[in-house]
Formats: sequence, C-alpha cells, structure tokens
Amino acid sequence: MSETVQFRVMDFSCPSCAGNVERALGSIDGVGEVEVHFSTGRVEVEYDEGRVATDDIERTIENQGYTPQPA
Amino acid sequence: MKDIRDLKRAFRRHRTAVVAATSGALFVIGWLLDVVWALGAASSAALLVGALVGGYDIAKKAYYTLRTGTVGINTLVTLAAVGAILIGEYWEAAGVVFLFSLGNYLEARTMGKTRTALKELLELTPDTATVRREGTTVEVPARDVEAGETVIVKPGGKIPVDGDIGEGESAVNQAPVTGESAPVRKTPGDEVYAGTVNQEGALEVVATGTGSDTTLQRIIRRVEEAQEAKAPTETTIERFAKYYTPGIILLAALTYLLTRNVVMSLTLLVIGCPGALVIGPPVSIVSAIGNAARTGVLMKGGEHLERAGKIDLVAFDKTGTLTKGETAVAGSEGFGYDAEEVIRLAAIAEKKSEHHLADAILDAAADLTPPEDTATDGGAVVERPAVPDPDDFDVAAGKGVVAHYGGHEIVVGNRALLDEHDVDVPDAVTQYVREREHAGETAVHVVRDGTVIGAIALRDELRESAPGVVQALKDAGVRTAMLTGDNERTAQAVAEEVGIDDYRAALLPEEKQEAIRSFMDEGNVVAMVGDGINDAPSLATADVGIAMGAAGTDTAIETADMALMADDLERIPYAVSLSKATRLNLFENIGIAVLTVGLLLAGVFTGYVQMATGMLGHIGSVLVVILNGMRLLRY
Repeated sequence: MSETVQFRVMDFSCPSCAGNVERALGSIDGVGEVEVHFSTGRVEVEYDEGRVATDDIERTIENQGYTPQPA
Repeated sequence: MKDIRDLKRAFRRHRTAVVAATSGALFVIGWLLDVVWALGAASSAALLVGALVGGYDIAKKAYYTLRTGTVGINTLVTLAAVGAILIGEYWEAAGVVFLFSLGNYLEARTMGKTRTALKELLELTPDTATVRREGTTVEVPARDVEAGETVIVKPGGKIPVDGDIGEGESAVNQAPVTGESAPVRKTPGDEVYAGTVNQEGALEVVATGTGSDTTLQRIIRRVEEAQEAKAPTETTIERFAKYYTPGIILLAALTYLLTRNVVMSLTLLVIGCPGALVIGPPVSIVSAIGNAARTGVLMKGGEHLERAGKIDLVAFDKTGTLTKGETAVAGSEGFGYDAEEVIRLAAIAEKKSEHHLADAILDAAADLTPPEDTATDGGAVVERPAVPDPDDFDVAAGKGVVAHYGGHEIVVGNRALLDEHDVDVPDAVTQYVREREHAGETAVHVVRDGTVIGAIALRDELRESAPGVVQALKDAGVRTAMLTGDNERTAQAVAEEVGIDDYRAALLPEEKQEAIRSFMDEGNVVAMVGDGINDAPSLATADVGIAMGAAGTDTAIETADMALMADDLERIPYAVSLSKATRLNLFENIGIAVLTVGLLLAGVFTGYVQMATGMLGHIGSVLVVILNGMRLLRY
C-alpha cells in the first residue's frame, strides 16, 4: 500500500540542494511522488510500505548531507 | 555500542560544521607551516588533506547532481579544486574548499532561521487537553479530543481545540490566529480557536475541530503552501541559471584556450556560481510571508506578493469594510403619518429580506413601544407582538423591496425604485432624504399604495481606524477609492469624512466588478478590500483581492490573494507596504548578485582575483543576500 511520510530538512543551503535530494529519493525503488521544498524545508515522500522503510528514506537524505527531522 | 551510535548520529547532524572546521583548521596549519616555519612540503600536505576533507562531501554532491544530468555549483567547485590540485596550487584548492564548506554551513544556518519562523506558531497549540468524560475530567492528548466533547480551559491556559464556548466568560488573546493584539471578549456560543490564550475566566469549550483540523493548523498549512509556491522572479532566475552554469563552464574553457591561463579559467568556475542570484527570491518570499502570517495576514504566494508590490490603487468596499457594518436606524420621519408606524410598516415589508438595511429596520421595530391597545392589559405586561409576515414580497436588488400586506402594497426603497413604480415624491420628502444623505446616512422611502408615507434614515458608523488607514496608504503613494451601493450624496459625505480620493456610488453588486475593471483599464494595479463573501467576485476581478475578517471562513481564504484574519483595517497599509518592500528586496538582491559577479569577473580578467578570493566574494554575496532577505522577517 502506498503511504506518505513527511520530514523537515532545516539545513538546505541552496535551491539546487533540494533538487538533488528530490532526485535521490525519487531513484529509490518503491518510492512514488517526491516533493522537496527548499523554501520551507518540507520533504514529502510517497512510498510503498512493502518495499521501502522510512529509515531508508531518512538515510538517503542523510547521505546527501542533510539532516531530516520528523515533521 | 549505544555511545558509538549516538556519536555517529551527532556527527551526521553536525557534519557540515565539523567538515568546515576541520578543513579550516588544516588550511590555517598549512599557512602556518609555510609562512611561519617555511616547511613547504609539509604545508602542501596539510593543504592537500584539508582540500580532500572538505572536498569529499562537495564531490559526492557533484557526483549525484551529474548523475541526473545537471551541472550545479558543487560540480563547478569540484572541478576548480581538482584543477588547482593538478597544477599544484594546493593553497588555492584548500582555500576554495574551506570557504565553500563554511559558506554552506552559514547559509544553512541562516536559512534554517527563516524556516523556523512558522514553527513558533505550531508550538502554540498545547499537546494535552482536559476533557470531561463520564462525569470526571481526564487529561488526554489534544489530538484525541473528539468533536462534541467538552474541554476545560483554565484561566491563563492555552485553548487546545477549535470550539464553541459552552459555559464561562473570558477575554481571549487571539493574536496567534488573527494578529489582533487586544484580547477579545468571549461569551457562551462564541467561537474560540486552538492556540489562542484564555486570559481571565475558566471556560468550557465544546470542541468542533481538533488535531490537524483546526483553524491555526489550516493557516499554517496555507502559509507553507504559499511559501513553497514559486514567485515569477524565482522561476525566471531558475530558468536563467540553467543556462548560466554551463555557460560559465564554456567561458572557462574558452579562457583557457585563448590565454592558456589555468588559474584564471578555474577562478571563473568558482565565481561563476549563480548562488546569490538563485537564493534571493525564496529567502525574501519566505521571510515576507512568514512575517505577514505572524501578524494575521495570509498571503497566498510569491506571485500574489510580487503583484501586490505594484499596487497603486486600493479600492474599499464601504459597508463592513470602511464602516463597522452595523447599520442602525438613525431617525425616521412620517409624512402625514406616524413616524413609528412608518417603521412598523417597513419592518413588515422587509421581514423576509436578507439585506443589512432590513435587519436594522427590524431591530428598530422591535425596540418601539408597542401600540396602545396591546401595550397593557389590565396592568399585566403583554408580550410584544412579533412583526407579521408580509403576504408576498419581492427584492429589487440594490433598490429595495416591494411587498403586500393586509391588502396594501408597501414599497421600501430608494428613489430609483420609486421612479420605477411611478410614485410621486413630495418636496418635503426629497428634502429630508437629501439632508440625511449629506450627513452620510442612507435614507429609504416607505410607500403605501403609491403614496410616500415616510422615510427612514440609517447610519453605519465608520471604523475609527478608516481615516488613518486611508492617510497611511496615501503617504505610501497609493490612491484610494470607495465602492458602494449607496447613493451619490451619502457616498460623497462618507468619502469626505474618510478622506478617500475617489468613490463610485449607486453600484449594483455586479457593477462593483465593473468599477474595479475600469480602474484597471486606466492602467492601475488595483487591490480590492472586501469581506470575501459578498465581494468575492470583485475580489477575484482585482489584481489583488484582500479579504477581511477571514478567520473561520475558509471560502474567503480560498478566493482571496490576501486574507486579513481579523476585521482589522489597519493591517492593509502594512500588507501593502510589506509587499512593496518585498519587491524592492527582490530587486536589491538581484542587484547585489549581479554586481558581485560583475566585479569578480573584472577582477579575474585583470588578475586581481584568484580562486580563494573569488570564493570569498561569492560566499560573501550569498550571505549578504540571505541576510538582506531576512530583514523582511522583522519588517
């Protein structure tokens, strides 16, 4: 089933950083719609519970060099 | 084990700071080794390590960006640093990398500050609520309160849910929701909002909205959407940046081919990042919208904000906007007829009407002493007879009503309606009506079977703040206009009292829209201020629609470009000047960005600017732009 999870990333430093995170999240298998907003730091990810854990999503953001916080 | 995991977490959280500090330290060590101890090789080693430590994260990001087929700032910096290392310029490589990491860290920190402006609002709602359940009171998480349950709020406590007051009276500070600084008196039946503060008495609130379904939560969601919506300037700049970055790489390559100067071409890569240009609009817009939200003004998005920055005419609806919207009968006159009877008859005709004048006439009828024969009955007070229903009734929009009662035709309305019905208006009546209108009142004629039997004068008090608001707009170089369904004379009297520049009188509801359009056709950027429900069409027609008193009415927030949560006219000059300041801020930031790049370019080609200095200039301009944008948070 498709679920949606939200995070806050307060340490985006430039608009293109947000774009990178958006692309990285989008390339995970089992992730659908991804929205990453530079201006508010809001990250919204639609994912397939059976294939992706929220931990994976969190780790992907961290690997990009940013700190996700629960929304 | 746990300690190590905590340490890892902490490192991840502060990674940018740690990396920037480490590469900075190595940079300083490298400098000391070279300049103080003259150990060239050791210095180079320290600088190289510094460049690698700082560069790893940058290169990783560059790699991710490249994989998606785009070239970003990280790519440019990586190219520059790698190039510098290859030609043995360790000094420059370490400098560029360190300054870039430091810049990133500072940028993230400052941006985080603008992002948390809204968080303060969120933290206003208490986490728990005291609820009456099965005869006792229990404390439960606020989001678990069900609609219909009674929540008890102690004096001084924050209200955890949206609801209606069941019992108790108090003054409630609604500033978080409406921006009003003065507390509002609340009595049973009144609506209260989650996140507001109960200042005096204990309240029992019957919950209507809890958890994420509260007015405050809806406002916050709306504000975030507004902040996320891209402003036109932002879109334009981003489109430009897409070509700009590859363009810079091309320029660097060309420079190398023509001059064979590696350092110069690498420096171009460093200063060519469009960072300051790209970051400007989102910072300005987020700051402005966040600031507005905290004072009870909802802006729908950057696009609307930018348009509002160009406003040069503000049109106000008169009733309920410039005036309090509490119309009351100020006087009545009978012509060959008892003045009180005139009101009684008018009340019957108006009973089924929903017009605000009708309410005032009905109120006046209710306050009259009852007619002789029913007033007393052997000393016992008899209940006052209700106003009877008319037999039939028709509304002439913007003109009045025509009704039948007890075999008589009753017409209550303005001169236009009387003319339509070929009613002869005696001079005495005309004179009375004129006098009242010159005093800023609205007068309606009461006609029975084709004869004018009287006139009723109604007054809607001006808001005390109206003249000051109009003056403030004038001072800001904005023209003002008033739209009203009232006749010419009343409109003129009110316009003079408020000091408004222009007015359009005797407008039917749909003509208000046309009036707005005609202002726009004259080349004005027009804002329309109204209540958001009756004025919805003209709000939608205007360049910027501003709805007043929008708290609790979702439609108003939905349709308007800006919504004032409270009925507070004084927020209008603030909203207009904030929009203007935002537009100016956007231009300032573009100016700073372009000027910096221009100066740095000139510096590079004249040989004054090397890689590290170039990076310093670049980072400096980004930070200046962010700080400049953040000024709007405190506007």
